[in-house]
Amino acid sequence: MTATSRRRCLAAAVATLVALAGGACSSADEPSGGGSYLVWDPYPQFADDSAWVALLRKCGEGAGVTVERTGYDTTDLTNKALLAAQQGNSPDVLIVDNPVISTLAEAGALTTTDENKLDVTTMAANLLAAGQREGRTYGVPIGANTLALYYHKEVLAAAGVDPATITDWAALNSALTKVKAKGKKGITFSAIGTEEGSFQFLPWFWGAGAQLTALDSPPAVSALTLWADWLRQGHAPNSVINNTQTTSWQEFATGDYAFAENGTWQLANAEKLGFGYGIIAIPARAGGPAPAPTGGEFVSVPVQRDTGRYATSRQLVTCLTSADNLLATDTTLSYVAPVTAVQDRQVAADPKLTVWVEAVRAAKGRTGDNLGTRYPKISESLWTGVQSALSGAKTPQEALAAAQRTAG
Amino acid sequence: MTTTTAPTRRTWWKTGIGLVLTGLMLFPVYWMINVSFTRDRDMRASPPHLFPVDGTVEGYRAVFDQQLPYLGTSFLVGLGTVALTVALSAPAGYALAKLRPPGGRALSFLLLTAQMIPGIIMAMGFYASYLELGILNTLPGLILADSTLAVPFGVLIFTAFMSGVPDELLQAAVVDGAGRLRTFWSVVLPLSRNAVVTVSLFAFLWAWSDFVFASTLAGGGGHQPITLGIYRYIGNNNQQWNAIMATAVVASVPAAVLLVLAQRYVSTGITAGAVKD
Amino acid sequence: MAATVPPGYRVSRAGRWSAWAFLAPVTGYLVICYAYPLYRNVELSLREYTVRSFVQGGAPFAGLDNYRTALADPTFGPALTHTLVFTVASLVLQFTIGMALALFFHQHFPLSRTLRAVILVPWLLPLIVSASTWSWLLNSDAGLVNAALGVVGVDPVHWLTSPRWSLVSVIIANVWIGVPFNLVVLHSGLQAIPAELYEASALDGATGWQRFRSITFPLLRPVSAITLLLGLIYTLKVFDLIWIMTRGGPADSSTTLATWSYRLGFGNLLPRFGPGAAVGNLLIVLALLAGLGYLRRQRRQQS
Repeated sequence: MTATSRRRCLAAAVATLVALAGGACSSADEPSGGGSYLVWDPYPQFADDSAWVALLRKCGEGAGVTVERTGYDTTDLTNKALLAAQQGNSPDVLIVDNPVISTLAEAGALTTTDENKLDVTTMAANLLAAGQREGRTYGVPIGANTLALYYHKEVLAAAGVDPATITDWAALNSALTKVKAKGKKGITFSAIGTEEGSFQFLPWFWGAGAQLTALDSPPAVSALTLWADWLRQGHAPNSVINNTQTTSWQEFATGDYAFAENGTWQLANAEKLGFGYGIIAIPARAGGPAPAPTGGEFVSVPVQRDTGRYATSRQLVTCLTSADNLLATDTTLSYVAPVTAVQDRQVAADPKLTVWVEAVRAAKGRTGDNLGTRYPKISESLWTGVQSALSGAKTPQEALAAAQRTAG
Repeated sequence: MTTTTAPTRRTWWKTGIGLVLTGLMLFPVYWMINVSFTRDRDMRASPPHLFPVDGTVEGYRAVFDQQLPYLGTSFLVGLGTVALTVALSAPAGYALAKLRPPGGRALSFLLLTAQMIPGIIMAMGFYASYLELGILNTLPGLILADSTLAVPFGVLIFTAFMSGVPDELLQAAVVDGAGRLRTFWSVVLPLSRNAVVTVSLFAFLWAWSDFVFASTLAGGGGHQPITLGIYRYIGNNNQQWNAIMATAVVASVPAAVLLVLAQRYVSTGITAGAVKD
Repeated sequence: MAATVPPGYRVSRAGRWSAWAFLAPVTGYLVICYAYPLYRNVELSLREYTVRSFVQGGAPFAGLDNYRTALADPTFGPALTHTLVFTVASLVLQFTIGMALALFFHQHFPLSRTLRAVILVPWLLPLIVSASTWSWLLNSDAGLVNAALGVVGVDPVHWLTSPRWSLVSVIIANVWIGVPFNLVVLHSGLQAIPAELYEASALDGATGWQRFRSITFPLLRPVSAITLLLGLIYTLKVFDLIWIMTRGGPADSSTTLATWSYRLGFGNLLPRFGPGAAVGNLLIVLALLAGLGYLRRQRRQQS
């Protein structure tokens, strides 16, 4: 082979590579700038023709900018937000699940209300707490949800149980026994090995009087024993160990179960059930409603190199969280609004929401109690402990003792 | 084996067994189809319904209303991945099989081990650099990432196949005054048609069914492939399973058709070189 | 698969170097696409990252601390064992079933070609769909498998929710996904075996099993080796399937190195990048060792 032809080969090969790399680079999107603002949200179910995206566009027009919106799967969003912050490429407005806020704040990825000048005074204090650390506020709730017990009217009636009497664990247990005697199934929930599992366990945990700082306390053990006994006695299906909240809802939707622990967001689906349903608060061990954890997302303004962008971002967030827009958004999401005045309008429009509004008002943030970024580790230990006990690998006592050790 | 005799009763009996085996293998696929027609409230019926009694076509209606543009994207990504994969791996296969470069063995080994990097690590690496380059949510970006699923495999297949091309043909080409490039382009490549089809098919199918790269690198924006269409039915707290499964069914139809059409080439292409040592 | 060059086609020394012109694109590609993610992962594993230093920079160099943390973690032992069991069991079953089906479909009977093509469909499905379908089928209470067992009088098995069965369940699903690939590759290997060999041995009066042992199996060895090697690579890093079906649980009973690495790095609200990356790298080392072992064996067989 001659030198020239060899060089030609090489050139061809290099050209191929350059064409590949270059092809990739030349078609790069315009970086955000000028009049376009990036918004990330965890609502991939809303397509470009949805009311949510229309609202984003409208708010953009109001602020005189174009909004470029991306909807991500919620589980990916934490990592994407962290990576984006690392690369100095954060979106202008970021909407994330509330327990993520403290992690992102810890990372220094979010601005405080001191910097972005957002007004959060109208927001309910217990909901706002999930976005606060060491006295600073890192975001605005866009809507809240929490857990309660859905019940099957006919199943309870057939078993002779009056749902209004279920105000403590003893009453719930006796209701479950009566339901089982009638050949129906008791209760379904989600105890999966993820944050969802902890979320669902917390009302019982808190309702027993336990604290997240002492996972192996006697009240905590009594809460886990309650769940483990349900599985052992056949009141709850074994599948709860793997149930997501959707799976658990599907079980309830079969009409075989008397109760399901689920959230506000199922309301729209509840209307499609083929049977009558009702909702009661989750009872605490000694009676009364148990504090349930708050769910729902926060709107935040990530740190930008160009701090001049905050003013426009503030306009966008203020627009998204204005009373009318909150009402519209929270109605689509089946959430409860974070502002009392809007909650009242929601109840006026749909009286069935009363239970939920009350539950949300009594609810408690997971990262509250100044746990902040300690919460994720505690929560992981907690759901692992719950899984060990429910699957029979350990007793509730052993499982929670191990959980407390790893949570440290 | 029983290749020479005409179909007799005995071979039809085998068809019976074949059907049963295929049925067993495809049962989960049937189940997916069944779920795609099932109403939300019947999803967890116990015992489960073997057929979608009271079925619904809601899932499919959603898919046909919303998903067709995604199919187009998937198609483009698939074709792009095929082109890139063949362009990279065919010359490499030729060099490794016929030119015996120093360090070639090491390179093959590297290629092989490159595949062992877990997908999520790859995806996160791509995500960080794409963010920097500003090519997130673009077709070329997704094509480049998807090709990593197929290039090492492609090199493997081309190497195996091209080492089966008789050396005499190559020498004849050299005698005719052809350079390396021409030998490759006009002798080796045409002889490797089956390998090209095989690699293309695999590259296309992997790109078509890829989910990890798509969700990491094209999760937002206008260029989403059909596997991501699924995310339209996975909300923050809620999943529409009949629509998810309907998307999967719709997504697998074009791929299945392609697979059946290309079967013939694959069978002869995939290992020809490796078997005849 | 570095090929042995037959003596007929001699290449000059300079010519051999120029062969790199053909390899340049793929080499550049390797560097661009694989080296960077790998470098990042190694870097992550050698530093003490918190979410704060991940974003703001300045994570202190920690040497092998993250590796020590990972090795000392009570999850490490079970995760390693599960990885090995999962990989070996999946490979053996995929290969055996794939081979049996390949042999079966290699016989020409009506519809054999169509059925063989159709059997590949499982392979086309996005993993999230096939994994979800399997968790559906294996559900303790409303799953079809338990319903079927109930019909023949077997008590329901807690496939996904008992520590005893969860690993078995994910292996079953993984085998199902892997069989089509084994079938395709092995079948095409079978097709390349000259029919005359079988005819000759049939004349010698060899039985089916004898023919398999003396002709099919030896001639299929190179193809089998590729199949198993690719299978190994794909199986070691399986993560989505296990994650969707069991999240590695209950109580870590189906946690493998891949799912554990993911859980550390991404499966929690507060990512632990360092240990997560360290476990990921351990997995890559494991894969490298397996690949080296394979190459050594292959070289020994050639010589």
